[in-house]
Amino acid sequence: MAREGRVVITGVASHWGSELARTLERTPGVGQIIGIDATAPKVDLGRTEFVEADIRNPVISRLLPGLEPDVVVHCGILWYPESGRPSRALHDINVIGTLQLLAACEKVPNLRALVVRGSAAIYGSSPSAPSFFTEDMARRYPLSTRFQRDIGELEGYFDNFARRHPQITCTMLRFQTELGPGLDNPLTRYLSLPVVPTQMGWDPRLQPLHAADATGALAAATMNPVRGAVNVAPDGAISLSRLLRLSGKTAVGIPPLIAGPLLKRLGDMLGSGALSDDGRLMLRYGRGCDNRRLREEVGYQLAFDAEGAARDFASKESGIQSLFHAPHPGSPVRSVKRQASPR
Amino acid sequence: MSSAELAVEWASVVQNSSERMLRRLAGEYHEDEWGFDEEFAEAAFPIFDFLYRAWWRVQVEGIHNVPAHGRSLLVANHSGSVFPFDATMIGTAIQKEHPLPRWSRALVLNWAFDLPFVSYFVRRIGGVAANPANLGRLLDQDQQVMVFPEGVKGFGKPFSERYRLQRFGRGGFVEVALETGSPIIPVAVVGAEEIYPKLGESSALAKLTGAPYFPVTPTFPWLGPLGLLPLPSRWRIQFLEPIDLSGYGPGASEDRSLVFDLSEQVRETIQEALYKGLVDRGPAYF
Repeated sequence: MAREGRVVITGVASHWGSELARTLERTPGVGQIIGIDATAPKVDLGRTEFVEADIRNPVISRLLPGLEPDVVVHCGILWYPESGRPSRALHDINVIGTLQLLAACEKVPNLRALVVRGSAAIYGSSPSAPSFFTEDMARRYPLSTRFQRDIGELEGYFDNFARRHPQITCTMLRFQTELGPGLDNPLTRYLSLPVVPTQMGWDPRLQPLHAADATGALAAATMNPVRGAVNVAPDGAISLSRLLRLSGKTAVGIPPLIAGPLLKRLGDMLGSGALSDDGRLMLRYGRGCDNRRLREEVGYQLAFDAEGAARDFASKESGIQSLFHAPHPGSPVRSVKRQASPR
Repeated sequence: MSSAELAVEWASVVQNSSERMLRRLAGEYHEDEWGFDEEFAEAAFPIFDFLYRAWWRVQVEGIHNVPAHGRSLLVANHSGSVFPFDATMIGTAIQKEHPLPRWSRALVLNWAFDLPFVSYFVRRIGGVAANPANLGRLLDQDQQVMVFPEGVKGFGKPFSERYRLQRFGRGGFVEVALETGSPIIPVAVVGAEEIYPKLGESSALAKLTGAPYFPVTPTFPWLGPLGLLPLPSRWRIQFLEPIDLSGYGPGASEDRSLVFDLSEQVRETIQEALYKGLVDRGPAYF
């Protein structure tokens, strides 16, 4: 990025949007930072300017060009599929929101880069899958869940946009599930259950991405965007059973035939929400991503590998939570006091 | 050894294993990025060692052809019908007979990763889902990898076709070997094709279980799990001269006819070795 570039962050009120803004504020070479969201950020941001707008509204097409951004980071719009979030709302935010934003980006005169915070869920989880997906393998298997199809559609629009605007560097970041102390997402909620239900006979390989690396990689890609998709995943992998053991959790294997319906109901009851179709497949077959593009082309050095992320989570997450603790399905932030440092 | 010494010995064994168990229960063990868990593989080894020594009385020829380090590709005939014991015995042979033993990885039929318990057992002892991406990555990491290019066609062949090699897929393993510059070591396994004499198959049961096929042997599924007990045939494993592919250059993997030629060459080498091995071994069971 050239000196004093202006960055616009959509979804700045989300956890990752806010974290990115705070990281960029401390990064030399970043000029003005403007955050857009439908609601105000829950944390105090420093020099980031906040503009209240909903990217699903066509007004964005008139608003965005006026801000004259050099880089647009489309961030925090990808929620996890989970109970309590109707898939239609998810589709509205993820697909329609992105479509509106891309239309708005076409109107920006000198846009240099567009960075989208996407998801590795597009690869899905399947028994025959490569142990490490590379970026070119995204559509090798049929998109089987609704969430996967949403991401597929969103990436389709993105690819189309990138093709029609070769002067803009378009980066699609595919994040593995983040894990970190204080983070609130389906994985951390699942892991904070006092007794963790697993599918009997299955022990998937997972790649939890440390929260500090999730923010760091996003900032690195904003500073040094590359063309096309980039996996954001840690080195190595860890099996679910070992992750649970390191966290001192008791796993209870649920027999196959009743696992599906029971896990779904249990997930609803406990509000753990990890047990959507995507979550269930993930906790059966797992998923691994190759991170060479991130390390070599974006040039981001990961601070934690998969095991390190698990150990850090286990050492800092305090104690056992109440069995019927129900987190708010809409808030991705439980505690933002812990500042995730880049590197 | 006196009984006191024996008691001390046993106490230390029990203590060591309980310490190990506690340590493992706390998650303090190593697994690599593929999910291979060396400690687990070592713990499972005595079972395979017993099968190797007592059950199948495995004889090995040409162990010096197995490279002690660096990337290499072991290509073998496949059989088993029910469980791929051939892969585990090749691995056991390397562990027991090689002066510098190493754990080989195996590309395993994807179906195994869709079975509860089997999937994680196979992964922990070094199995990886069979696809070119995995093979390429393993070889780039200088691993030793076993592949069975006959795939399902070989695994599920009927008893009457034993030791007749099936088509070698589309030669994908040669492509990856050329790309990564890995030597190919053909391996001929005699004996494994007689442990589950497959007489027929049941398409209804295959549909029910989601398996690519459902074997019917004289004992399976009639005797239930007991029918899974493999017959004690005698085995002979031959590791053959390595085929060096490093001289072909980087673009060679694009050359389809070269790939098919090499694939056929490997297939014929193994087929000949199988006929020789059958003669050398003698009668199958006694």
